[in-house]
Amino acid sequence: MIFDSYEAYKQASFKPKVCILGSGPAGTTIARKLGAAGIPVAVLEAGSREFSDESQDFYRGTTVGDYYFDLDITRLRFMGGSSNHWAGWCRVLDSQDFEPKAWAPDTGWPISRADIEPYLREVHDILELPDFRPDVPISDDIRWVQLIKSPAVRFGEKFADELDRSKNIAVVLNTYATELAGDGRRVTGARLWSNGQDAGAFTADYFIACTGGLENSRLLLWSNQRSNGGVVPNAAALGHYWMEHPTFQGGNAILANYNEFEVDASNEAFFSPTLAAMERLRILNFGVRLIESPYPNVKRLIADLACTAPDMAEWMSSQLDQRLRCAAQLYVAWEQAPLASNQIELSKTDVDHAGVPRIELHWKKSPLERRTLLEGLRLFGTTMAQKNLGRVRIDDWVSNGGDYPTNEETAGHHHMGGSRMGTDVLKSVVDANCKVHGMDNLYVGGSSVFCTSGQCNPTTTITALACRLGDHLSKVITV
Amino acid sequence: MSYFIKKMSRRKIVQALIALPALSLFRNQSAVPNPNGIDPDEIVEVNGWILKRSDLA
Repeated sequence: MIFDSYEAYKQASFKPKVCILGSGPAGTTIARKLGAAGIPVAVLEAGSREFSDESQDFYRGTTVGDYYFDLDITRLRFMGGSSNHWAGWCRVLDSQDFEPKAWAPDTGWPISRADIEPYLREVHDILELPDFRPDVPISDDIRWVQLIKSPAVRFGEKFADELDRSKNIAVVLNTYATELAGDGRRVTGARLWSNGQDAGAFTADYFIACTGGLENSRLLLWSNQRSNGGVVPNAAALGHYWMEHPTFQGGNAILANYNEFEVDASNEAFFSPTLAAMERLRILNFGVRLIESPYPNVKRLIADLACTAPDMAEWMSSQLDQRLRCAAQLYVAWEQAPLASNQIELSKTDVDHAGVPRIELHWKKSPLERRTLLEGLRLFGTTMAQKNLGRVRIDDWVSNGGDYPTNEETAGHHHMGGSRMGTDVLKSVVDANCKVHGMDNLYVGGSSVFCTSGQCNPTTTITALACRLGDHLSKVITV
Repeated sequence: MSYFIKKMSRRKIVQALIALPALSLFRNQSAVPNPNGIDPDEIVEVNGWILKRSDLA
């Protein structure tokens, strides 16, 4: 069932066992799992079926530190959530992303990649993916990895009919849960805002926050403040360890044979380090993305090469004469170190229309990440040269430690951390089953539970974790 | 030999001649040891380029 207003929902006398906040990839996936298990679920979606400026305005906020996107642009507040502007790149976090790394503090998950692998078949169906091929080692240091471009499933569109037909799932649109109330052991209800006014309290036996990688922290911080610690009793890490995938063009490459890498439809290929290389260089994970260079850039690149290696430049020139695909721009996206100082706070001065404090995001890239970018490009360039696959030129701003460019991709719109998973209540918010520490009936879905970010786009892992949480709750909850 | 040269366009011959000095750069063969003891496969970073020493002029 889908209701366009809370008023319409109330008339249906639906009795949910579980209340899910948010209808993005995590919320929708968990709802479908629970609904299939016969558990009645209400999904409260703050937005409507379509994008609107009025709804997006609730997402405005500020960023302190490095340049970042406007917070009302980098996510979407309507049915299907941020899947509505998802580009569709898919890959599950590497097994090494789950392991602690001695050279990077606060890394490591309480679960391993093996814990989510049983759900990947379901994830492939949900995201409409073919099977992944195994990584291809190019050298001892570099792997050619695969990111699959899915049809960029819009969860709101794809599952609207199924949700509407379901007798166990009630999606309630235009219904904003402004805060949860709790007594330090259980969430006792959610405060609602609908149709421009307070709409009273909503009760269920279980609550799952799936409002996104920024909004989950905001909801829990505000709820905890209002209930004097009754919603997240162990709140030391709440809002902290927020992460993104910084993304910049870091160099260029000339390639002996571009076709050697079977690039996808968008002519892009991806490379990542081996764990051994990361350990040796004490760097984090990264992904080098090859994007075919436009012709004028190739000419400039060859002219630059001619100053250093004229014979090779001449050879390249002859190659360019015969086929245009012989050079690539190198975009690097890298794993961000989980730092407590990268955090979501509640604004002390600015609130949304419902009176909830807006987000103040504190975000800075660290020296470890800067080293990951430079050493990562050196690693990739060295492999390309040693294997005679091509030659790499690192951009001056990377080599010389210059400022990050302000006119580039900046980051992936991947919002991770803030309510991370762990066993140490001082450094995590949820346990291995995504249950908030100390609470009996409050769970968190989505990338806010990520302990580390890895280098790949998060939606595949979000969906896998959501399948796992849905499966877990299906066994825990009795109807 | 002369048969092939006659069949090739002058443009192709020039392209082949241009490519000759650099062909070894992309061959999957180790280079001949340098009598001066310099390893031609040593990786060097010059002006941002990550090259083999043998690439340098």
